[in-house]
Amino acid sequence: MKTVAAAAVIVIVLASGGVASGSSKATVSVYAAASLTDAFPKIAPGAKYSFAGSNTLAAQIRLGAPADVFASANMTLPEQLYKDKRCSKPVVFTRNRLTVIVPKSNPANINSVYDLRKHGIRLVIAGPTVPVGSYTLQVLRNMNLTGVLANVVSRETDVREVLAKIALGEGDAGFVYSTDAKTVPGKVRTLKIPAWAQPKVQYGICVVSASSNKAAARAFVKRVIGPAGQKILVRYGFLPRVKPKAPH
Amino acid sequence: MRKAGWAALVFLAAAVGLGFLTLPVVALFTRVPPGELVRLLGNPVVRDAIVVSLKTTLIAQVLILLFGTPLAYLLATRRFPGRQVLVTLVELPLVLPPAVAGIGLLAALGRFGLLGSTLDAFGLRIGFTQTAVVLAVAFVAGPFYVRTAIASFEGVDPNLVAASRTLGAGPARTFFRVALPLAGSGLAAGEALAFARGLGEFGATIMFAGSLQGVTQTLPLAIYAQFEADFDVAVAMGALLVVVSFALLLSLKLVFGWQPSQRTSHSVFARTS
Repeated sequence: MKTVAAAAVIVIVLASGGVASGSSKATVSVYAAASLTDAFPKIAPGAKYSFAGSNTLAAQIRLGAPADVFASANMTLPEQLYKDKRCSKPVVFTRNRLTVIVPKSNPANINSVYDLRKHGIRLVIAGPTVPVGSYTLQVLRNMNLTGVLANVVSRETDVREVLAKIALGEGDAGFVYSTDAKTVPGKVRTLKIPAWAQPKVQYGICVVSASSNKAAARAFVKRVIGPAGQKILVRYGFLPRVKPKAPH
Repeated sequence: MRKAGWAALVFLAAAVGLGFLTLPVVALFTRVPPGELVRLLGNPVVRDAIVVSLKTTLIAQVLILLFGTPLAYLLATRRFPGRQVLVTLVELPLVLPPAVAGIGLLAALGRFGLLGSTLDAFGLRIGFTQTAVVLAVAFVAGPFYVRTAIASFEGVDPNLVAASRTLGAGPARTFFRVALPLAGSGLAAGEALAFARGLGEFGATIMFAGSLQGVTQTLPLAIYAQFEADFDVAVAMGALLVVVSFALLLSLKLVFGWQPSQRTSHSVFARTS
């Protein structure tokens, strides 16, 4: 066992000798929810990004992934990391809405959320541990439509996988964020989910405790929360991080 | 002295290689007590994944044997222009990233793919079904069998085939009574590899078939889904897959006498790669 471990260490040392060490001081490494794939690089083009389901990223951070910043599509995951002292106290940096999408050709002729009850349609959603997957379940509960879960043909690992399956026309309908639907306007049609059924979609951001690059990480968070970052997020269809006061 | 130094060097390099290849596997088991593996079989997600994995992999293997064997036989015994190109094309899925395989399958058999729309007209829906899993596994694992099978058929002494024909056996009889038995151990070796690769298939499946418990969620897909939900369950499932694959490969080796001693004694059986 010890020899085996020693041998493995030798290989790893040899392997890392050949590859330039990935963590250069200046670039900040951002682990961000898949729905931020388009907006984040516009906010800070110099950072390195890893986009995936927030739940996957949180698990990677727990296993010691070299992340400096964690940007999640919910508050639960960063708050859990914060409770376990693995990241700083998360703050809300943007909000979002859910929407139903169908392929442009709309093969199953779905024209409202209630049409998802049609027998035998191919509904694609994200897995229950993916933030968008749990929001989807909330919407269905709010609208008393949990029966449509019988039509689910796949539970994907992040929101962009749902988007791809619908944009390709493989699935008949899917639940994504409205910001994702906007990235492929020629391929999908969106069906509105009423405001009263919308879940509270808040994105949380925090600085990873194990980061060796905390100053740059904090600067990144500041930029996202600041006017420049907010402007770009809004341009991509995200909602400002603070709800504007109702005018009355 | 130099001889001893050389031997030590070879031994050291071999130890490093062995250590590197086995450590991740060993590490899986240090995290899972053996009792956990048994308890795991009670978890419905795991049970469903095992059933889906075994069913789809077995069907895929039948397809691979049924269509791969004639393909390999023809490619091994016929000489024609463009043969090398054809063999390379058949082998290509071996080196393709599974993601490319997934995209290719979608482009070919997806609902709006090359053949997909025709199939859809016949009421054949492939996407998100177990058929999609079977096809993904067959596409990715098939070349492991075909490639080995070509080499095995090429290794059959053409004089024996010719003798069979001159003694009055037809081409079918010659194939089943001479070529197939002589190539047998090589075919079994290829099949074992294809089976193991099929059990481990992930990328093409998740892209082409999606992931749904009890329908398309194979063991590797379930491991991925559990990775962030419950790491320990994911590790345990991984260990389970390792046990199954190890038992499979080892038993095939033992059953088919896939040992070096036989390899050297019967040259006809030897060419497996």
